[in-house]
Amino acid sequence: MKKPTVLYVRLPPVQRLVEIKAVAEQLHFKTSTLLLHGGKVVEAIAWFNKHIASYRQLVGSTKNSFLHWDWLSRQFLVFAELLETSTVAIPSTLPSHFGTSENPLTEWEVQPAYYYQLAASYLREKRYCLDSSLSMTDSASANTLGKNPESVLPSVFVGQSARLLEQGDTIEVLPLSDAEYINYAITEAQRFQDSYEIIALFKKAYESFNSLKAPRLASHCSTRMAKEYFIAEDFNNAKLHFDGVSSLYRQEGWVTLLWESLGYLRECSRRFGSVKDFIEYSLEMASLPIFSAGEVETPNSKREYGPAGLPTLSRRESVQNEVFGLLRGENILPLTDGGCSLIITEEQPVRVDVDVISPLRMALLACVAFHDQSVKPGSPTMMTLSLLSQLPCPVEVDRLEIEFNQPKCNFIIVNAVKDLSTAQLDMDSQDVRVENAPSLILPTNKWLRLTYEVKSGQSGKLECLSITAKIGKSFMICCQAESPASMEELPFWKFEDQVETFPTKDPGLTYSGLKVIQVEEPEPQVDLILGASSPALVGETFVVPLTIKSNGHEVYSGELKINLVDARGGGLLMSPREAEPFSSGNHHVELLSISGTGVEDESQTQFDNIRKIQQSFGVVSVPVLRVGDSWSCKLEIKWHRPKSVMLYASLGYSPNSTEAASQRVNIHRSLQIEGKIPISISHCFMMPFRREPLLLSKVKSLPGIEQKVSLALNETSVLIVTAQNCSEVPLRVISLSIRSDGDEDSRACSVQHVGGIPADNAPLVPGEEFKGIFSVTSKVDSPNLEVGSVCLVWKRDLKLGDFEDSGVVTEQKLPSVIVEQPPLIVSFDCPPHAILGVPFLFHIRIHNQTNLLQEIKYSLGDCQSFVFSGPHDNAGFVLPKSEYIMSYKIVPLCSGLQQLPQVSITSVRYSAALNPSAAAATIFVYPSEPEFIVGAKKQETILV
Amino acid sequence: MIVCVAVVGHQNNPLYLQSFTEADDALKLHHIVHCSLDVVDERVNNPKKSGPTLNETFLGMLYPTENYKVYGYLTNTKVKFLMVTTDLDVKDADVRSFFRRFHAAYVDAVSNPFHVPGKKITSKAFAERVSGIVKSFGPVTTG
Repeated sequence: MKKPTVLYVRLPPVQRLVEIKAVAEQLHFKTSTLLLHGGKVVEAIAWFNKHIASYRQLVGSTKNSFLHWDWLSRQFLVFAELLETSTVAIPSTLPSHFGTSENPLTEWEVQPAYYYQLAASYLREKRYCLDSSLSMTDSASANTLGKNPESVLPSVFVGQSARLLEQGDTIEVLPLSDAEYINYAITEAQRFQDSYEIIALFKKAYESFNSLKAPRLASHCSTRMAKEYFIAEDFNNAKLHFDGVSSLYRQEGWVTLLWESLGYLRECSRRFGSVKDFIEYSLEMASLPIFSAGEVETPNSKREYGPAGLPTLSRRESVQNEVFGLLRGENILPLTDGGCSLIITEEQPVRVDVDVISPLRMALLACVAFHDQSVKPGSPTMMTLSLLSQLPCPVEVDRLEIEFNQPKCNFIIVNAVKDLSTAQLDMDSQDVRVENAPSLILPTNKWLRLTYEVKSGQSGKLECLSITAKIGKSFMICCQAESPASMEELPFWKFEDQVETFPTKDPGLTYSGLKVIQVEEPEPQVDLILGASSPALVGETFVVPLTIKSNGHEVYSGELKINLVDARGGGLLMSPREAEPFSSGNHHVELLSISGTGVEDESQTQFDNIRKIQQSFGVVSVPVLRVGDSWSCKLEIKWHRPKSVMLYASLGYSPNSTEAASQRVNIHRSLQIEGKIPISISHCFMMPFRREPLLLSKVKSLPGIEQKVSLALNETSVLIVTAQNCSEVPLRVISLSIRSDGDEDSRACSVQHVGGIPADNAPLVPGEEFKGIFSVTSKVDSPNLEVGSVCLVWKRDLKLGDFEDSGVVTEQKLPSVIVEQPPLIVSFDCPPHAILGVPFLFHIRIHNQTNLLQEIKYSLGDCQSFVFSGPHDNAGFVLPKSEYIMSYKIVPLCSGLQQLPQVSITSVRYSAALNPSAAAATIFVYPSEPEFIVGAKKQETILV
Repeated sequence: MIVCVAVVGHQNNPLYLQSFTEADDALKLHHIVHCSLDVVDERVNNPKKSGPTLNETFLGMLYPTENYKVYGYLTNTKVKFLMVTTDLDVKDADVRSFFRRFHAAYVDAVSNPFHVPGKKITSKAFAERVSGIVKSFGPVTTG
């Protein structure tokens, strides 16, 4: 514009097209910028699509088509950048749903990443076209290149180029011919490193799609990026990206896509010279479920699928053959365009590991099923080893090594056909069992089942760990053994519609077979005897004799464990309410000690002797026992409460002194022991015979409230303690006494033994009662007086010499009593017996202990057995601190045990009436004067 | 013209994929179908954006590439149907009716007692029926 001399010239066709596109680009750029700045994203995209649609077809001649792709790529790149810079405005203005007829836009079209990856794709196209036009020019002639214009400048007109000619001072701008322009463009294009640009664009798109949570689009970008790295011979990066995408394709089962990636990966490993990777990728490729028939490979397909080639069955076969050739020792020659020669040598063997998640399970799957779930030590069991390969050609294995967690069980299966390896085998492993198999050929998708016998002498778990297949001299593929019951389906193949096959002949074993078997412990040849005589009694030290007797095994490092467990602990027949007080308390049953014969000696010599006793658990070590020896000990257990207990005794020992601790034998015994209360103690207080103090607390007592026993102050009461044997064994009572708890109480209340205690230990048969009589005199007026505790000393009625116990003390506290001053005391005075027809005197004495005048009423009822003189009803006053006596003369009319006339005395002040008990009102009437043999004992009996 | 139809299972694994082109671009179509699954996921997981199409099986256009358009369809059992076409001007109604017929064919194929659910569809009858549906697809140009 500045130089008016330059005129617009109509250009030759190629340049004209370039010019048109350049102008269109300018206009489009401006329109898009305006639209995007105005926030009209949808319109901008629609405009862009229109723009691209109008020009996409204008490729031009094949020779210069790269110009077109370059231009197209630039369109996308520019638009992506424009969109990216104005993304802030996008979300608010976008319509809410995509892909509908109202809004034909889709989610990714508003994302710059979409345009970046397209820009990259077109740039690849450009590079491809450029390469082909270069090769065309190369082949045509080198002359055209020689004619390269020296200096070509962009013209003042948009999209035009011109040649600058300097001739002296004058500068001339000349138009270019098309051929010249193309040459110029090719030279220019060659200067650019397209690969880096492509990678950068894909990377941008890849990262963007990843952040948009579109993993598949991202991986598509990643694949193309990796291919670009591959072309640029950056194999490290290529492998990295291909590995990434392969895992997604594996996960989702896209065989064709994985095939392509694996082809590249395999090629990368070949370039690195990594034999192991090459084998792994080749095996995976060959075992993919691809069945399409062979198609003719076209140059385009080579371009599309890369080094993997077309995914066909024949290609899989050739991949397998190639890799097995390598395994058998053949050499894979390097490609013409680089890479290393691959070979496996015996010095550097290759080992491929296949675990449960490895894709190589398709190439070799090993599962192991034991026919039984458990086996006795030393006895054989059957095991089926099943191998499956999905490789298209049959695989011949030279030998199989089966490894267990117990190395003694390991064995090797040798292919009988190949005796070469057997010779080698004999040298390196002599201890290992060797089995021969007629052939070890794995056909495609057909289980090879081998059943062998396994024998283990060691108890515990026997697990098959791995199966190593050896192919050739220096290749091993080591498969982790799988249980058919818990085996995952093969990746990819699980989607194929194939006939289901079972790894074992017995389909039941397929569903339940495990690679683990339990080897039982050897049968214990030692007896453990628990002898308990009878139920245990609460309070006593109960002795359980325990004997260990060796019948066939010697006992080394024996350890005896004793455990006491609540027999009802299993939740049987127990209500929660019942369980609470038992569980909350401390141990109701206690293991006191374990006394063994000769323990004293041993404890001195063996300091490391295990000896540990807790309240419900004990461990003791058992000395070494030879065959036929026996050892016994006594367990002393004490019950604090009645409770049923399970006694568990377990002996663990090793039959050999040399073997490891794992080879231990255990023997268990249990015994249920019932703990019972031996003696139940009850008591009652009684007033002296025919003496009735008026106790006001009794008169006022409210019904419903449990009242304490009331005793009269300074009066002597009688306490009767009854002990009943409620166990099933005879007992002997050694002593029965009342023990006062404190010093103060002993002064307040004196308890004296009156009778009932035998001289020697009294036997007490089950169910029998024993009574002790005490007199209690309380001297202190107290509402809460502690009388003391009943102490009963007893022992079992046993004649055993070694069981000389001093006796068991059972103690029971007596409840506290109320002691009060009685205001009145009534006593009946009557002879011990009467004689028919002989009158006798019957006095009723009422003693007033208060300072008040007491009015009393009394009455005497008639009865058939007696006649009496005196008033039937009367009233009287008792002076303070004095006694009032009513006397009746009574004549008995009948003999025998007779009721005296009914006496009733009422105190007006206290509104209390007294009716003597039937026992107090009973008298024996002799028909005539009896003749007594005077003796102390008789007297006593009558008194009581 | 439809160039490719695909049935994609629950794990986004292809159950049936058939291309109908002469050209050698099977791999490209695989990639396109695979990438379109991202859009299906996006639409299924973000029902807010897809709004009224929430209860609809037809997912609409998923993915326009420079030469193709991809349409999607989701059955009640969450099996995805994808269709790739080269027609740039397609009516929604046509696509819907295509998917309806395709769905019917699919239901018949998987109702076969010998078909194991979750495995690839290998039925020849299904393939024939699908190619029939594919051929009859398109704006009524012939009629």
